[in-house]
Amino acid sequence: MTKTNQNARTAILFILPALLLILSFVFLPIVLNLFYSLYRWNAFEAGRVFVGLEYYIRLFKDPIFYTALKNNFLFAVISLMFQVGGGLIIAAILEDKLIRKFQPFFRTVIFMPSVVSIVVVGLLWQLIYNPEIGLVNGALHAIGQSDWAHSWLGDSKTAIYAVVAVSQWQYTGYMTMLFLIAMQKIPAEYYEAAMMDGASRIKTFFSITVPQIKEMILVGTVVTVIGAFKVFDEVYIMTFGGPGRSTEVLGTMLYRAAFRNDEMGYASTIGTMIFLITLTLSLIQLKLGKSGQEV
Amino acid sequence: MTIKDRMIRLVILVWFALFSLTIIYPMIWLGLSGLKSNSDFFLNTWSLPKEWLWGNYKAAWDAGIGQFFLNSVLVSTVSVVTVMLLGSMAAFGLSRFRFKGMNVLLIIILCGLMLAPQVGLISLYKMLQVIGLYNTYWALILPYVSFQLPFSIFLMRSYFLSIPRELEESAIIDGCNNWKVYWHIIVPMGKPIIASCALLTGMNVWNEFMFALVFVEDSSLRTIPVGLMNLRSQLNTNFGIQLAGLAISALPMIIVYIIFQRQFVRGLTAGSVKG
Amino acid sequence: MRLKTKVLVVVTLIFGLLITGCTSATGGENSSDKIELKFLHKWPQPQYAPYFEDVVKEFEKQNPNIKINMEAIADEPMKDKLRVVLGGNDVPDIMFSWSGEFAKKFVRAGAALDLTSYLNEDTAWKNSFIPASLQPFSSDGKNYGIPLRFNGKFFVYNKDIFDKYQLKEPKNFDEFLQVLETLKQGGETPIILGNQGPWAAIHYLTGLNQKMVPNDVRLKDYNPRTGEFTDPGYIKAMEMLRDLNKEGYFMENVNASSHDMALQLFFAGKGAIFYVELEEFPDIEKNLKGNWDFFAMPPIKEGKGNQNFITGAPDGFIVSSKTEHPKEAIAFLKFLTSKENAVKLAEQLGWPSPIDGATNPDTALKQVVEGVDMMKEAEGMVEWLDTDVHAKVAGVYLTNIQLLLDGTKSPEEIMKEVQDVAKQVQMD
Repeated sequence: MTKTNQNARTAILFILPALLLILSFVFLPIVLNLFYSLYRWNAFEAGRVFVGLEYYIRLFKDPIFYTALKNNFLFAVISLMFQVGGGLIIAAILEDKLIRKFQPFFRTVIFMPSVVSIVVVGLLWQLIYNPEIGLVNGALHAIGQSDWAHSWLGDSKTAIYAVVAVSQWQYTGYMTMLFLIAMQKIPAEYYEAAMMDGASRIKTFFSITVPQIKEMILVGTVVTVIGAFKVFDEVYIMTFGGPGRSTEVLGTMLYRAAFRNDEMGYASTIGTMIFLITLTLSLIQLKLGKSGQEV
Repeated sequence: MTIKDRMIRLVILVWFALFSLTIIYPMIWLGLSGLKSNSDFFLNTWSLPKEWLWGNYKAAWDAGIGQFFLNSVLVSTVSVVTVMLLGSMAAFGLSRFRFKGMNVLLIIILCGLMLAPQVGLISLYKMLQVIGLYNTYWALILPYVSFQLPFSIFLMRSYFLSIPRELEESAIIDGCNNWKVYWHIIVPMGKPIIASCALLTGMNVWNEFMFALVFVEDSSLRTIPVGLMNLRSQLNTNFGIQLAGLAISALPMIIVYIIFQRQFVRGLTAGSVKG
Repeated sequence: MRLKTKVLVVVTLIFGLLITGCTSATGGENSSDKIELKFLHKWPQPQYAPYFEDVVKEFEKQNPNIKINMEAIADEPMKDKLRVVLGGNDVPDIMFSWSGEFAKKFVRAGAALDLTSYLNEDTAWKNSFIPASLQPFSSDGKNYGIPLRFNGKFFVYNKDIFDKYQLKEPKNFDEFLQVLETLKQGGETPIILGNQGPWAAIHYLTGLNQKMVPNDVRLKDYNPRTGEFTDPGYIKAMEMLRDLNKEGYFMENVNASSHDMALQLFFAGKGAIFYVELEEFPDIEKNLKGNWDFFAMPPIKEGKGNQNFITGAPDGFIVSSKTEHPKEAIAFLKFLTSKENAVKLAEQLGWPSPIDGATNPDTALKQVVEGVDMMKEAEGMVEWLDTDVHAKVAGVYLTNIQLLLDGTKSPEEIMKEVQDVAKQVQMD
């Protein structure tokens, strides 16, 4: 009895510093944010006016909110396809014994963009997309497809895809790395046995690789989906939500409300919405994660 | 190897080579364009510089990148060390003890992994002002540490769980207390995962943009990502200097990554059957 | 226990490093006998920053009891950052601001110090400014800002291209359209425009609104308390802008290039006309070497506004109402706007100074002097639309102007949104 008590106390001593920081800088702000969303206030004026749920009502009537939701959703879907789906395939190919010799090189290269700051990547791609001097149109002209040349970031119909594409360029390698690491834990005997049975590569991929790294796929999926709702930097740097507000995401919408339009209350309301969305997604993850562990 | 296998391999290699090219080429282009003058950059965008203006790099460094660089180094180092220390302690507590409420603590910490930093942007900004930390290094370090801790704890905990308990049991018999077990057994054994976490945390902190944009205002405190945005002028940007600045800020992380990538992968795969 | 102390030592070391890092960064507190002023401007780029460093150094030499802590934030971030900074505990004593509504909102919030008495005390100082440069920084007859620059917007053109088609500077808008048509027929790009930052097209609309809408109506609409934006002139102005693009007078993909990139195209002779600010003239001279000239936005016959206005505004500095050293702050501003430093500003940076006579043929480029003279002679100035209306109205204009140009939205739709937001702003 006394031993477990003492044990618990020691354990908490070890956990406490991290826990306190997380509680005060991650969780407390969420609570405060709820409170702030009920007031009209701005950064440079003292005092605030209670407005109740006014901003929530306005948010649901704001067409930009739906644009932003749609864009975040696009981020999630496309990232799932490329980062999780594509990353998985790339990892499987790199693990194949035909290619494994070259794995360290390719692994290093495709992971590289994710260590570079998004500011660098964003400003770089702004130039690459530029219709006058950019590499994308230059390459299209070079292969004789001038008709496809386009003002990628300048057209409100394509801009969001152009931004999402940069994100894929940057983070697919990251996911690939996570999958590779998980795949390397699969015992080689499994593959050998499958080979003996004469299973094809594609078949082994689905019957051995995917089930064996199921948990990592789950983690990857969740990180990607939630990450899609955390997007801010890419959009802020490459388009600031433009042209028009066609590339607005929840993050930039919040920033614009807070620091351009002087509506901190409205910004907090958007913050609360981001919280609710990510919370729902996290709960789904916890549930799926549990059932995953049972297997 | 059959002919079919060779063909497949060739196709795949060509594909990967092209893919690598779309990554490496823009990076090299970035470094080279940093050596150009404005007109050279716009008229001969994709060729080698006519004149190699090494001065651009110096100009970018002097225009504040130097200061921002040092700030980034300081903020990243302190954040990483703190995250490693507090994170490994928490992971130790969560992997080596069983007590009531442990699952709740675990869930709280893991939830921290999922929450978007934007949610806290406004309130953190207000909080930091109230406690007087706004516009200091702390305004970056404390949020960075708090937001990075959950992921590190998550990774370290699962690693620590795989460390065999026999070692510490014999240590405890020898009269070691928990601190000693933590410091002399768990930390040395956990080095690979701590190194991987350090790299991941360092990467995230070095590149963080949104908090750095809002929580400090003095240029003497700015980190590289925000500082880079300031090199851009609306009316006439010197693109050579701007790109040189981008290259300077990208290089350290690339170098660190290339040097440590072996350890990085090893840390995350350790305990596996195939080394 | 020994281990615990080890950990403690490490922790203290880290935090010690941090604290020393902090204090060295904030300058320490040992120099308490000195008055410290925090000065925030918006030119951190290497080509401008040295001017301010020199001025500060010289001022500190003349006033050994004052120390200036200088900070700089670039143009675009400044629009967000100033609000953040003003909400902080450590508000700069002197800070950059655009004139017009951008400054007035700080005045309304009580964040900007009333400078009227300081200006009236020193009439010599007050009279040294071109009157039109002080006026946009005033609200209800009180002065809140001190101008540093006096900026105007003009069409510059490439003389080579104009000569090739024997074109002359247009005297009115119809002639302007004819010039553009001739250029287009000749296969040239008539106008270069980089509208990735949508302020670029907003500057066109600034002038067009002013020329199309009766002055009193426009002033009433630009005031956040009374704005309605129902005058048909606003729609007309947008149609004119849209048509410039529709007719193919602007370069292609205007929304994809930023102004600074577009400028390089103009330098390379890839377009005939470019709408720029006076402060850009020196850069244009450097690249086109005398091969250029300029004209103001030409009068519009059917326009209901005053046709002798020029688009442009001063920008400069406001003083925080929280400052503990208003006297010293004013002393610094006086020094910054002294004739001597104004001349240096004109010579070194090529910027148009609001100090009467500082921008003259000896100190500045011929064209800059002419531009300042045109602004002095104009019957009035119209300030940038994006800083002259309430931030939310400006936001609607800024985001929609790109959609106007790419054809996604019609002028009527956009004005409807402007009207809605103006109503919302009135109620706030």
